[in-house]
Amino acid sequence: MAKVLVIGAGFAGHTTALYLGNQLGRKHEITVMSNRDVFGYVPSWVWVGVGHMKPEQTIFKLKPVYDRMHIKFVHAAAKEIHPDAGDQFVVGEEIGTGKEIRWSYDYLVIAPGPLLNFSGTPGLGPENGFTHSICSLPHAIKTRDAYMALCERMKKGEKVKIVIGTGHPGATCQGAAFEYVVNVHKDLLKKGLRDKADILWLSNEPELGDFGVNGVQIKRNGIVQKSSEFIKSVFNDHGIRYQVQTGVTKVEEGKIHWQNYEGEEGVTEFDFSMLIPQFKGQPFKYIGKNGEDVSAKLVNPAGFVLVDGKYGLPYPELAQTPEAWPAQYNNPTYPNVFAAGIAFAPPGPISKPFTNKNNLLIAPAPPRTGMVSGVIGRVVAMNIVDLIKTGKMTHQERMTEMVAACIASMGDNLWDGNAVTIVMRPVVPDRKKYTNEFGRDLFISHLEMGLSGAWMKFMLHYTFIWKFKGLFGWKLIPE
Amino acid sequence: MQNEQEFSKAEKFWMNFKLYQLWRFIVLNAKIYTIAVQSKFH
Repeated sequence: MAKVLVIGAGFAGHTTALYLGNQLGRKHEITVMSNRDVFGYVPSWVWVGVGHMKPEQTIFKLKPVYDRMHIKFVHAAAKEIHPDAGDQFVVGEEIGTGKEIRWSYDYLVIAPGPLLNFSGTPGLGPENGFTHSICSLPHAIKTRDAYMALCERMKKGEKVKIVIGTGHPGATCQGAAFEYVVNVHKDLLKKGLRDKADILWLSNEPELGDFGVNGVQIKRNGIVQKSSEFIKSVFNDHGIRYQVQTGVTKVEEGKIHWQNYEGEEGVTEFDFSMLIPQFKGQPFKYIGKNGEDVSAKLVNPAGFVLVDGKYGLPYPELAQTPEAWPAQYNNPTYPNVFAAGIAFAPPGPISKPFTNKNNLLIAPAPPRTGMVSGVIGRVVAMNIVDLIKTGKMTHQERMTEMVAACIASMGDNLWDGNAVTIVMRPVVPDRKKYTNEFGRDLFISHLEMGLSGAWMKFMLHYTFIWKFKGLFGWKLIPE
Repeated sequence: MQNEQEFSKAEKFWMNFKLYQLWRFIVLNAKIYTIAVQSKFH
């Protein structure tokens, strides 16, 4: 009997666990160790953050799902990973009791989601800073409360400044911030308060609509359209001001300090701000059999797990090397250790990085959330199934092969809501396979705005919660 | 720099024209489902 341990129960970890439980749960020991006992449907936290969805509609308890899928659940925070052969185990701290747990494994999947590195930008974040976040459910709730309080001030006639975007020069997840800014716009419009708010999009993207993936390009009626033009139209239409090529360096009460590509330093004032922090890997200790630190074999300096990618290529070379992106997501030194979702170390950025004259690197990190996380989770699970059954992995999917669909809602109303539907293939441009200047399949890639997107976003919420609960037919629903 | 790029009146009409959007809903779902399912065979 093989023992598989999955650390984390988000999009990647939970997807891995579902496939493993389904394929191996009856004959092998599948365990999930997570510091949260609920699954959170992250894409809907945007709606929680504007008060359009109750927090409890976005979560469900994990244990009943795992009981049905023959998966053990350990409610604990992983602390140490001991990967050396012969004595492979993870040490965790049980939530509630603080008791130390030692769990051995034959295969380990590291998928704990990101460490929200608010401390990477002084003054950032809802706990020790002055800005808000929608990156966790407690944060989204706090953001909602602050936003509602802001609306009360506006109802009394006060004019306010709202800043939404990224809070670190290397932040990712611009898509979530974009969705939040357009939802705030739409909500204020409905409340009759839009004229009381000056809304600014502040981002580290090289250009509007980059989203950390070098933008999205499509071909419509024989003409190539770019997401930069499209998002510009959205912002102009909504009266949202924008400032890109900007890295936030510090936040004080009501003031955001930044630097841009030109090296200019500036301050933007705000009454309410939601800025996405830098993401880092979880700070696990990686310990060898003699008690030595083996982190260098497993993770990069940011704490992301090194897998089967080619690391260290300069950006121009990486952009021309699709095979540099990992395919099977296991560590070369410890091949039974896999990483899924945000936990794996990408070989470099997708968007072109920029270092300004003050030596500040402004470079959106590659997004590895949502659909990408789920796909990697499935690939990892199926390869572990392969290894246990046949000893050989047969599944692979690089981000240079992966398709991703993203629906960015602009209001959740089914009658007059709106959303941008974005489809891209591949997520990371493959300039060898797709010889156009963008490295993308311009026939499949798609960008469209309309009410249908709002319906899709609403449908996806319920469809994916159905899938993640492992209910009838869950495998038919793609990641 | 911001320019004056905005959606035209016609574009805005189609974005909220329910019958057309129902058609787009079907087409987009079919497209996304088809390409996403292909990933399962990797």
